[in-house]
Amino acid sequence: MNATCPRPIASLFSILTLAAVLSFFSIAPAKAASEEAAAAFVDGLGKKALSSLTAPELGQAEREKRVRSLLNSYFDVNTIAKFALGTNWRNANETQRAEYLKLFEGMIVKTYAQRFSEYSGQELKIGKATKASERDTVVASQIIQPDGPPVSVEWRVRDQGGSMKIIDVIVERISMSVTQRSDFASVIEGGGGNIDALLETLRKRAGK
Amino acid sequence: MTTAANIRFCKTFFVLVLCAGLTFGLGACAKSQSPESGYKAGAIADPIEPVNRAIFAFNTAFDRFLFEPTAKIYDAVFPGFVKDSVQSFMRNLRSPLIIANNLLQGQIGDAGVATARFIINTTAGVAGLVDVAAGQGLMYEDEDFGQTLAVWGLGDGMYVVLPILGPSSLRDAGGKVVDFAGDPLQLWANNTHNDWVYITRGAIEGIDNRARVIKAVEDLRKNSLDYYAAVRSAYVQRRHAVINDQDPQTSASLPDYDEQY
Repeated sequence: MNATCPRPIASLFSILTLAAVLSFFSIAPAKAASEEAAAAFVDGLGKKALSSLTAPELGQAEREKRVRSLLNSYFDVNTIAKFALGTNWRNANETQRAEYLKLFEGMIVKTYAQRFSEYSGQELKIGKATKASERDTVVASQIIQPDGPPVSVEWRVRDQGGSMKIIDVIVERISMSVTQRSDFASVIEGGGGNIDALLETLRKRAGK
Repeated sequence: MTTAANIRFCKTFFVLVLCAGLTFGLGACAKSQSPESGYKAGAIADPIEPVNRAIFAFNTAFDRFLFEPTAKIYDAVFPGFVKDSVQSFMRNLRSPLIIANNLLQGQIGDAGVATARFIINTTAGVAGLVDVAAGQGLMYEDEDFGQTLAVWGLGDGMYVVLPILGPSSLRDAGGKVVDFAGDPLQLWANNTHNDWVYITRGAIEGIDNRARVIKAVEDLRKNSLDYYAAVRSAYVQRRHAVINDQDPQTSASLPDYDEQY
């Protein structure tokens, strides 16, 4: 620093330097912390799922109840459901939307209750968490199987202003949301572009 | 013309026609792979859907009655290390193709890795039965001519379901033909009238690959509303990830959730 520098300016300069240094150090851990938090969030889900859903003696109704509760506390089911319906969401009326959201949730609950009833010793190993956008962090993980190769699973975690929710699961690079969207779109298209065709198919599924 | 020469001529002709078809037919749809976003991720044109669905139905029946049961038996009978050896051996046989496609894609580093893998696994790995190289951090990465064409800027063209071989695209089906025609093992087998070699290779490779996705396929079949549409989407998403040589740890193409509904 220039020694001839007037005192007030010199002190201002050092304050600015200090502020810059401080903010640098505080921003860096803050960013890492949000990634760490997302990883811990997914890890928590994995641990809870393993401890509460896998017992073979659980009845179907009880298992479904537990899946529903975990699903709603860890996933933003409505965002996922809306994405899966795509532009058809816009064309649906209020009654159709309400029924669709209910059927969608029911389908996911049933699917996962079934999967966990077949549990055979798999474990979730959390990997790196990477910021994907301002609000989203992708947490990489692997499902370690006792009798097969590990399966790569990525969790897209969205920061919803303080709380976190998972909005997509990507298995072996295949997004479940995108696949579901194509699946639903095809059913609607097959039914002449009518969302009722999808609702009818989902209803039949739910009744099975 | 002798029969053998005849077959060779037909094959060459077939390859030429396909290459021409690729060059001219796809010229119109050729566009470089843009970063997939939104609902376009996992989307592909499917103008011959009725034909594809018919072949898909045939493939599904074939799979359920023959392919899947065989894969299940293979999976149950052989211990993990044997299956790993089968996979390593089959992958090692593909090395020349992988190296060539890496070079064609301008991925010199990857070509080096594939070459090192080939040398190490063929020697220290006992003719490719053990993937020693992977233990040294030299990981296997699948490359084929379809991917090379994609890197060169050719689009998918359209979705094509091939009999027995399953989901593909016009570009990747063409790529398969070129890979087949250029495969040193196939050329050797063909020239020495040992056609059984690559037929056996294909069958074993198919069963081994199928055995690795028994649960995944079952899950998709059970939990999709329209199995055909779900498989199409899953295939295209995975294929695009492989073309972009995407590391699963840093998957970049996530669906865009912020669009207006």
